[in-house]
Amino acid sequence: MALLEVSGLRTTFHIGVGTVQAVRGISFHVDKGEFIGIVGESGSGKSVTMLSVMGLLPQYAEVKADSIRFDGRELSQMSPRELRSLHGKEIGMIFQDPMTSLNPLFTVENQMVEPLRIHLGMSRERARLRALELLHQVEIPNPEQRLRQYPHEFSGGMRQRVMIAIAIACSPKMVIADEPTTALDVTIQAQILELLENLKREMNTSVVMITHDLGVIASMCSRILVMYGGVICEEGSVRDIFYRARHPYTWGLLNSIPRIHHDSHEKLVPIRGTPPDMLKPPEGCPFAPRCQYCMPVCRRYMAPPTDLGDGHLVHCHLMHPKAPKVERGGLQHD
Amino acid sequence: MTEQKRSRVLMEVRDLQMHFPVNHGLLSRKHSVLKAVDGVSFSLLAGETFGLVGESGCGKTTVGRTLVRLYKPTAGEILFDGTDIAPLAEREVLPYRRRMQMIFQDPYASLNPRMTVSSIIGEPMRLQGFPEAEIRERVRELISQVGLKSDHLSRYPHEFSGGQRQRIGIARALATRPEFIVCDEPISALDVSIQAQVINMLEELQEKLGITYLFISHDLSMVSHISHRVGVMYLGHLVEMADMRELYTHNLHPYTQALMSAVPIADPDVAAASQRIVLQGDVPAPIDPPPGCPFRSRCRYCTGACAETMPEMREVSPGHFLACHVKG
Ligand SMILES: Nc1ncnc2c1ncn2[C@@H]1O[C@H](COP(=O)(O)OP(=O)(O)OP(=O)(O)O)[C@@H](O)[C@H]1O
Ligand SMILES: Nc1ncnc2c1ncn2[C@@H]1O[C@H](COP(=O)(O)OP(=O)(O)OP(=O)(O)O)[C@@H](O)[C@H]1O
Ligand code: SF4
Ligand SMILES: [Mg+2]
Ligand SMILES: [Mg+2]
Repeated sequence: MALLEVSGLRTTFHIGVGTVQAVRGISFHVDKGEFIGIVGESGSGKSVTMLSVMGLLPQYAEVKADSIRFDGRELSQMSPRELRSLHGKEIGMIFQDPMTSLNPLFTVENQMVEPLRIHLGMSRERARLRALELLHQVEIPNPEQRLRQYPHEFSGGMRQRVMIAIAIACSPKMVIADEPTTALDVTIQAQILELLENLKREMNTSVVMITHDLGVIASMCSRILVMYGGVICEEGSVRDIFYRARHPYTWGLLNSIPRIHHDSHEKLVPIRGTPPDMLKPPEGCPFAPRCQYCMPVCRRYMAPPTDLGDGHLVHCHLMHPKAPKVERGGLQHD
Repeated sequence: MTEQKRSRVLMEVRDLQMHFPVNHGLLSRKHSVLKAVDGVSFSLLAGETFGLVGESGCGKTTVGRTLVRLYKPTAGEILFDGTDIAPLAEREVLPYRRRMQMIFQDPYASLNPRMTVSSIIGEPMRLQGFPEAEIRERVRELISQVGLKSDHLSRYPHEFSGGQRQRIGIARALATRPEFIVCDEPISALDVSIQAQVINMLEELQEKLGITYLFISHDLSMVSHISHRVGVMYLGHLVEMADMRELYTHNLHPYTQALMSAVPIADPDVAAASQRIVLQGDVPAPIDPPPGCPFRSRCRYCTGACAETMPEMREVSPGHFLACHVKG
């Protein structure tokens, strides 16, 4: 069952030199208890999509949507105040750089206890006990002592664990994790990923994970949205995307990463060219200027979604029955 | 490149140490040293790519900077084509500079925003005192070699994308026709689809010019793709070193094993079938480290011997080196 259902989301930023068309009409849903991944290049609109849903963008951003339904309520009609009351309570957030989201001037105790008192009306003493329990849950040693410390006294991996503890403090229905491990070393990343997996298993929380790391996506997510140039170009189950992808951008992405478990020295196949300028995005398919299969129609119109079954949707003109039949080239396995 | 071609030793590093003094404040009497690199030995064969991996702060960049003599090592030898360049004074290093270059992690910060692309690429030649006419000609040759156009030469770095800037950095590194280049995280600031462009370019240049690379990265999948041999560092020490395939299939050091298992694999079925070894705790700081194996605080095989002496690097099978008391 869908916990979050977004349709027709468009987000623009009015800046001095023009209008950045960051998100250009996307629709998707997140089911209860689902671990969903959003991948795509830098600037493709991954973060802005989720920030728009949460109403967390600056004043000069303009968010339009046909509807954004969360747990039976229409978020697009809510006032900023009503939206804020959901944050930290029903929707938890974890960002790439915990230093920017933790307040350096307050102790960790302060930052953990406040939301519990505000959202759940706990007494100071009960909130403190809950905070200890949470730090324990995210495997921070000596929680008693750690609670009294400031964020800068923690290592990067520990700060990220504190962020997770805060994000799950009020047992939210959904957690949005935007590049939660990008700044961390692999062995520390492994600790954080393990923690997120446990969360999902124990509390049936829905997790939306934004990342550019296909390895993280493959090992964590059950469903994937692939974004390019402000739109979703393909979505499907993890196996649809990794083994049965149909969009040339998804192919390009898969072909440009090395695989450690493969005999190396197969040549990588890069995607030529550079991503579009979102001040002047292409009129048709955003991938057209870099696509080796581009047809005249691609430059004029965006492709409608084609449903290949079981929620595998592809936005590409190659899906048209009269289009040439092409297969994924480059380094392949299976 | 074939195996026989990579047999000449270009660089031999023996017991390299790079220590930094730690400042405890003006009033403190305490003197500590940070042992960023503490006794590392390996050799580089001409025309090979040697990958250096390990966690943040383990000393990878310091090794790279010391090899090209941006730092003067605290101790140890760096035999470059037979000459020990470790003890040389700055002035004596200059002639070697043209034979060794470095490519940096951040293509945004490493290019001077006020210089044109042309003067950026020509800079290392200018420092070496090449005549202007020769520099101009070489710069034109280089810009096309890295796949950019000559009308890009009069522009400034901010007009380029990350991948293009990294190519400008590569062109600059190639200017003096070096035999050896340290690539310090050359792709980590780039988008996935752009990373492959840069990696392919580095590989093609090596095939054509026979350049030797020290390739530093924490992206093990990329290191495994580009490297012939790999060294794994932990807290200032090399703990394991082998041919890439050997290291992937027969890794022995408990740290290498954890590192390899922690790399998320971009293949859902393989990922589901593999077991992640999760290490507890963080990497300790290399300030006044206790005796014994540097990894022992996080190692699940740790025994009494590990706390007493530092395990020596030994060859466990041809070309496979390991420093561990327990394994092997
Ligand atoms: N506050 C803002 N003001 C103006 N433009 C913005 C703002 N935030 C994002 N953008 C622009 O919107 C587009 C989408 O940005 P977004 O941050 O969603 O990308 P992303 O997919 O999350 O990329 P990354 O992987 O780099 O985080 C980009 O072109 C970006 O420059
Ligand atoms: N110039 C310096 N002065 C003092 N300490 C230094 C200096 N350069 C590096 N260090 C210290 O030496 C250790 C090794 O640093 P180094 O930059 O070599 O690590 P690294 O393996 O490259 O890490 P990363 O993956 O984060 O780049 C660190 O503890 C670092 O703080
Ligand atoms: S719609 Fe056209 S340009 Fe876009 S990905 Fe498909 S074939 Fe390529
Ligand atoms: Mg983002
Ligand atoms: Mg470094």
